[in-house]
Amino acid sequence: MRNSFLRILILALVITSLGVLSIYSSTYQKEGAWQDIYKRQMLWAVIGLACFFVMSQLNYRKLWDANYFIYGVALFSLFLVFTLGIIRLGAQRWLKFAWFNFQPSEFAKLAVIIFLARYFSRKSADDISLLSGKFGIFRGIILPFIFVAVPMFLIIEQPDLGSGLMLLLVFVSLLYLTNVRLKYIFTLLFILILPLPFFWHFLHDYQKQRLLVFLNPNIDPLGAGYTVIQSRIAIGSGGLFGRGWLSGTQSQLYFLPESHTDFIFATFSEQWGFLGSSLLLLMYYFIIRQGFIIAQRTQDSFGRLLAYGISLLLALQVFINIAMNMGLAPVVGLPLPLMSYGGSSMLVTFIALGILVNIDRTRSVF
Amino acid sequence: MERKSILRFLIILMFGILLAGLLNLDLLQWAKFRRLSDSNCIRLIAQSGARGNILDRNGEIIVDNRISYDVLILPQELSQIDRILSGVSRILGTGVKELKAAFKSNYFSSSIPVTVASNIDLNKAILLGEYKLEEPSIIIQPMPLRHYPYGPLAAHVIGYVNEIDRWRLTKLEDYGYKTKDIVGFGGVEEKYDYYLRQEEGGLSVEVNHRGKFMRVLGFEPPRNGKDVQLTLDLKMQKIAEESLSGRKGSVILMDPQSGQVLALANYPNFNPAVFVNKRTRLIAGLFNNPDSPLINRAISSSYPPASVFKVVLASAGLELKKINLYTSFLCRGSTMIGARKFSCWDVHGVQDIVSAIAHSCDVFFYKTGLLVGAQNIHDYALKLGLGKALGFELPYETGGFIPSPLWRKINKFQKWFDGDTANLSIGQGDCLVTPLQAANMMAVFANGGYLPSPYIIKAVGNLDLSAKKRKLSRVAFKKSTFEIIRRGLRAVVSDARGTGNVLSGLGVSVAGKTGTAQVSRGATHAWFIGFFPYENPKYVICVFLENGGPGHAASVIARQIIEAMNKQGLI
Repeated sequence: MRNSFLRILILALVITSLGVLSIYSSTYQKEGAWQDIYKRQMLWAVIGLACFFVMSQLNYRKLWDANYFIYGVALFSLFLVFTLGIIRLGAQRWLKFAWFNFQPSEFAKLAVIIFLARYFSRKSADDISLLSGKFGIFRGIILPFIFVAVPMFLIIEQPDLGSGLMLLLVFVSLLYLTNVRLKYIFTLLFILILPLPFFWHFLHDYQKQRLLVFLNPNIDPLGAGYTVIQSRIAIGSGGLFGRGWLSGTQSQLYFLPESHTDFIFATFSEQWGFLGSSLLLLMYYFIIRQGFIIAQRTQDSFGRLLAYGISLLLALQVFINIAMNMGLAPVVGLPLPLMSYGGSSMLVTFIALGILVNIDRTRSVF
Repeated sequence: MERKSILRFLIILMFGILLAGLLNLDLLQWAKFRRLSDSNCIRLIAQSGARGNILDRNGEIIVDNRISYDVLILPQELSQIDRILSGVSRILGTGVKELKAAFKSNYFSSSIPVTVASNIDLNKAILLGEYKLEEPSIIIQPMPLRHYPYGPLAAHVIGYVNEIDRWRLTKLEDYGYKTKDIVGFGGVEEKYDYYLRQEEGGLSVEVNHRGKFMRVLGFEPPRNGKDVQLTLDLKMQKIAEESLSGRKGSVILMDPQSGQVLALANYPNFNPAVFVNKRTRLIAGLFNNPDSPLINRAISSSYPPASVFKVVLASAGLELKKINLYTSFLCRGSTMIGARKFSCWDVHGVQDIVSAIAHSCDVFFYKTGLLVGAQNIHDYALKLGLGKALGFELPYETGGFIPSPLWRKINKFQKWFDGDTANLSIGQGDCLVTPLQAANMMAVFANGGYLPSPYIIKAVGNLDLSAKKRKLSRVAFKKSTFEIIRRGLRAVVSDARGTGNVLSGLGVSVAGKTGTAQVSRGATHAWFIGFFPYENPKYVICVFLENGGPGHAASVIARQIIEAMNKQGLI
């Protein structure tokens, strides 16, 4: 039990430190406030760590009770963004607080997972069996989908296609883990995929562009394809051992845009090479594996689903972010958990990991 | 399988995909991406060394370099460029529009600095150097340019320099030549381009994504080309060109003992500086001029040798014992060969070999030619270095042509008649020689029996080539043959009725042979080839005037040259 706590803590701390190093390396030559953002990231890491400790002590069953409140707050903050949010990089994703900006979509991801975990682990009052096995198509698929679709719609409208689709992916994979019949899941997938060509017209121009560019980055090497091309160059030029810390020309001479946020993996990989990057992948994998192990040995179905959901959220974000760094996935605005600069993502990730540790700690109680 | 195992398998698969992607980028395509990364941030700023100088035999400079300055700018964002260009235009005093136009037209790729102004003077370069402290993206590059202190002097020997053309580029690509390289065209510049050529050095600098200069990564100093020393004597070259001035033709001065060419002048000539200054109209004029000023007439054009060729006839007749010192023929102004009358240019009366050379009697040589036979004439012409290229060092040498019955039979399916022999005997008909070949032939009689291979490169870098180049081949004629012909050549000048009598009384004893070549159109070509001093020949001279009138005209120019040389104490 202490084991999983220490393992996750150490792995998360190492990854976060690598993230701070990478942020420093990509911004230390810029002027003004840029030079200090690695300090802000360290501050966020400290706050995140505090949250991690608090959450690891707080019984996760309290989340069961607070579930509607959490969901409500998430939805409310998304509405706030919709009306009051500040606009940066052409998107309305942030809420301005005293000295920082908060990104509710990060928080909404966790809220939706908690909501879904509770929804699918409700038990029958008669025989204490899981209700989800008896769900028909309405209660198994359509109703939870509505609860996912509302925040998803709000997030996609920000616009933040990546986080929105992330919710959908987590929803589908959680469905798959519950007892809901496969037939229903495939029906849902079918219904979602069928109107995709139709949705094309609802995408923003830049989103269409990104998808086209994903298919062939060279159609617009100086525009939409630029980032992917530069990020591939950054990763590839690292080679086996990398170019060394502070010696990455792609990130430090600013050929790579967003080198401290969405494309921090390329920044890291340029400097540390194949060895460093595969080590980083391995650390992410170990955290996620730890999450799966915790889920498997938890008897409580709410805890189990919650652990699966958190692990899946991490796994999907890591995969999509790194894949898009390497040009294997279209560019969607998704941070790399624990590494990318950004307080909200860091905070939410540490909270999620804290919940994970607490599930493992509490499981013996039941 | 359980759903959760499938999901776990999917997670492992995802990480497998990421690892495979890393392997692909970092290990398989590493070299490509490293190169792309470098080309993103590394700019090479070429600095060129100076092309090698061309010197005369005494080490005096014929062609060297002067330093001019070019202004280059590292390409970057457009707004930045506008600001920098307006700063540059303030200092240079040229309009921003012109600079912008130059930037646009010279822009090649974002990785190569763009030349916006060239050939600026030192003061402005210094001012710009100060401005560079504010705008490190400006590059001021010293650019050595060809400088011709004597203008068109020896232009055909030197050649000119210009941007490499497509044909040369395809030939020379493997030797490290690139587009826009400045290479030699014609003359020493072309033939010795590989040695004269400077090696480019340069700076490699790091720039950021806006093309802004960050730091210097490395420097490789440029290397200057090697100097090429010619056998030309600057003073003699000047005399030759001044004497020729304005008349189409060429003058060659040569050392008969070694084959060194001391002066080689042609007219019309050109000023190679027009190619450096890019005077487009003048350059076009050179190429379109019907007199072809770019042609090196001394080696690239061949002409009928006319009476100059009689030296060959005399050699063949004496060597083959068809005639001797005492043989004489009667010249009545013409003679019949077959049914055709072949005339002499004058009525000479009884002529022996010496007087026939002196008076250039055609009848004597018609008869000698018929005795010797056309094939023998051809063979002796070749023995004296005519009819094939001499292997001279300057490009575009032509071999001239000596006809023979055999050649005519094989190539033209025509018979050779005695009339053809008679024509050949006085150097007319199909017979063609270059002025250099004529001078070289005369060297054999000057040095008493050795055919030199003329050369003009004395040294390349510090390596003296004259020992290697000195290649004299023995011409196995009898001593008496040379003596008799030399007496005849001397008589050309010393005899009161000799065709080259104008060259007597100079204080230097000259021997030689004149020639007047009939051409199908226009005035005759004038020849004078000779050597001096007669007793101990130090110089062979060849004066050739294209459509210049009778041989006398060439002799007059030869006289001017020898007089001038004598006055300057060169003999």
